[in-house]
Amino acid sequence: MTPGDPRRLACLSFPHLALLLAWRAHPELCGEALLVGGPALGGRRSVLAVSDPARALGVREGQDWRRAELLCPRAVRLQADLEALAELRRQARLALSGCSPMVEWAADSSAYVDLSGEERGRSEAVRAAGCGRALREGVGLTPGVGVGQSRFTAWAAARSAAPGRVRIVPPGRAAEFLARLPVAQLPISEATVERLLQFGLSSCGDCASISPAELQRQFGPEGLLLHRLCRGQDPARLEVWHQPPPCGVRRVLAGGVEDAESLRFGASELAQGLAQELALRGRAAGRIRLTLRGEEDGGGDPRAWWSEVAPPLPLASAGDLLGPLLGLFGRIHPSSPVQAVELEALELVAPPRHQEGLWPGPGAGRETVQRAVDRLHDRFGKGLVWRVGIRPGHPGDVPEERLAWSSR
Amino acid sequence: MGRGEGPALALALASLNRRYGQGAVRSGGRAELQGQPTGIGSLDLLTGCGGLPRGRISRLRGGDSSGAFDLGLQLAARVSLQLPVVLVDFSLDLDPGLIDAYHGDLDNCWLVRPRSPAEGWSAARALARAGVGLCLVLARDWPRVTPGAAPAALLAALSESGSSALLLGGGPLPAELRERTSLELASRRLGWELSHGDVCGMRLELTVSRSRLAAPGASCRLRLGFPRPYPTQPGPEELAGEGGEEEEAGLGLLLAAGAGG
Repeated sequence: MTPGDPRRLACLSFPHLALLLAWRAHPELCGEALLVGGPALGGRRSVLAVSDPARALGVREGQDWRRAELLCPRAVRLQADLEALAELRRQARLALSGCSPMVEWAADSSAYVDLSGEERGRSEAVRAAGCGRALREGVGLTPGVGVGQSRFTAWAAARSAAPGRVRIVPPGRAAEFLARLPVAQLPISEATVERLLQFGLSSCGDCASISPAELQRQFGPEGLLLHRLCRGQDPARLEVWHQPPPCGVRRVLAGGVEDAESLRFGASELAQGLAQELALRGRAAGRIRLTLRGEEDGGGDPRAWWSEVAPPLPLASAGDLLGPLLGLFGRIHPSSPVQAVELEALELVAPPRHQEGLWPGPGAGRETVQRAVDRLHDRFGKGLVWRVGIRPGHPGDVPEERLAWSSR
Repeated sequence: MGRGEGPALALALASLNRRYGQGAVRSGGRAELQGQPTGIGSLDLLTGCGGLPRGRISRLRGGDSSGAFDLGLQLAARVSLQLPVVLVDFSLDLDPGLIDAYHGDLDNCWLVRPRSPAEGWSAARALARAGVGLCLVLARDWPRVTPGAAPAALLAALSESGSSALLLGGGPLPAELRERTSLELASRRLGWELSHGDVCGMRLELTVSRSRLAAPGASCRLRLGFPRPYPTQPGPEELAGEGGEEEEAGLGLLLAAGAGG
C-alpha cells in the first residue's frame, strides 16, 4: 500500500452478542420482541441489547430500562449473563485477530478489520469473506460484511449485506452508495436528525448536495461531520484492539527503519526468538504471521503491513522458520518507516516427530529438495526454479517448445 | 587433536578448515574426504578422492569445442540417475533436454534460471543445503555473476550437507571463488570421432590443473560420444576399446548430440 492508496476497511455486522446468548438459551424467543438488560450503573438499569421487533417500537440500546418497558410493554425481558458474554466476546476477538492484526471490536454488535495492510495478493472480497468465515467458525456467528474506505461506509455496506454475504463499495463511489441511505442511520444526534427531516432532507444524498458552509451554519460543528459522513469521508479512526499473540516475538526498532535489507537483517534473530518461545511450549507453528508496524498516518490512524503463511509442515526450529520468514519479508513493502516488527505463531500444533532438514546429507530424496524449492518460490516467486520434461511427438526444436516447463 | 599439536596449531587448522571446508588440511595416511563417484573410472581416479569431492567446489574448464560443456552435462546426467541434481544456469541458455539426451533422469533435475546473481547463489546455497547430489553451476562471465560473499556461503552449505558443486564455463574466476575451489580440471580436445563421415564424438584430454586433494598435473584421456537424433548412433561397444590404453572404456555409453563445448 502506498500513502496515496485509500484505506480499505471491512465491517462485520451481527446481532448483539447478548441477544445471541439469549437466543441460544431460549430458542423460542427468536423473532419475538426481546429486551436484554445490562448491569445497573448508578442504581439505574439500562438496555443492553434489543431485538428488531422491539427496535421497531422505538427501543434503543442504552435506553433507560423503565422507558423501554413503557415503549414496548409486550417485550420479553431478560437479564444478560455477563460472564458468558465476556467469554463469547473473547472468543470472537480471538477468531478475528487470526485474520488481521488491525481489528477494532465495536459494541458487541460489529467489528472493523483493516484490509489495506495485507500483502498477499488475495482479492479484497476473499479477504473480507475470510473474516466472516473466521467469526462463523470461531463463535457460530454469521455476519454481514461490508467493505468501504471509511468506517461509516463499511458499516452501511455491512448493514445492507445479508448474513454470510459481502458487499463492497469500490473506492471513490462511497457518496453514490450512501445517497439513498436514510439520515436516521447517521451517527449523529437525534435532534439533528429531526431538524434534517423538518427541512425535507431525508437521505444522505440530499445532505451531500448542500455545501459544508450551509450545513455548518444550520447545525454547528455537527454540520461539517454530517457533510463528510454523507460523502463517505468520515474521519473516525480505528481503535485497534491489541491481542497478545498466543506465541510471538516483538522487536521495537529505534528511530524507524525504512530499508528492506536492514529489516531482513534481523530475520534470523526473530526466527530464533520465536523458536525459543515454541520450544518453551513444546509446540510448533502451523501458521506464522509477520507484521510490520509503522508510524501513524496523517489522520492519526496506526499503520501496519502484514502477511502470513501456512507451511506444509509445522515449523519448530529457527532454521525451519527462517526460510518462510524471509519469504514474508519479501512480500511486504511498507510505505513508511517501520517502528516495530512482530512475528507470531497463529496456530500452535504438535511438533513434527523428526527435525526436518537437520542433516539431510548428500543423498537427500526428491521430497527434501522439492521442499527447499517450495521455500525458494515462496521467497523469490515462481519462475526461479524449473522442472522440465520431454513433450512427446517432437513439437519443436527450441527447448521452450520441445520441453514441458513447470515451476511447481 | 593428535600428539604434539599445540593450541596454536589446532587453532590454525580449525581456521583453515573453516575457510576452505572440512578436510582442507589433513594428517597423512587418513582419507577423510569422500568423492561423489561419476561412473567414469579414470576420472574418479584422477580426482584423488574417488569422484567429485563432496562438500567442495570443483571446476571443469576448457576453451571452445574442448568438450568441457558436454562432459559436465554428462556427469550431471550420470549423477541424476542416483541423486537429485540442480543446474544453476546464469547464462540462461542451457538446454536441459540434453540431460535426457545423455540418458539422465530429468525427473531428478531442477533448473534454476535466476533473474539476478544474488537469486542464483541463494538458490544454489539453499538446494545444496537440502542435500542434492550435484550442483552444476554454469556461467559465461564469472566475475559479473559472483557477489563477494556468495562462494563462501555456498561452500559452507556444501560442507554442511556433503553435496558436490561443479562450476562449468570459461573465463577466469574471481579471487573469492577461485580460492574456494578445491579441484580444477582442464579439458582439451585431441580430435573428433567420425562415423560414416559424421562427427559422432570427440577425444579429449582431462588434466588436473589445480587441486587441494592430490598432486596436480595428472591427466587422462576420454572418448566422448554425442547424442544422435537418429537411431543409428554408435553403441558403446562400437566406441569402447578403440582408443589407446589411456582411454576410458565404456565412456561412449554416455555420449550422445550437440557440438562439443
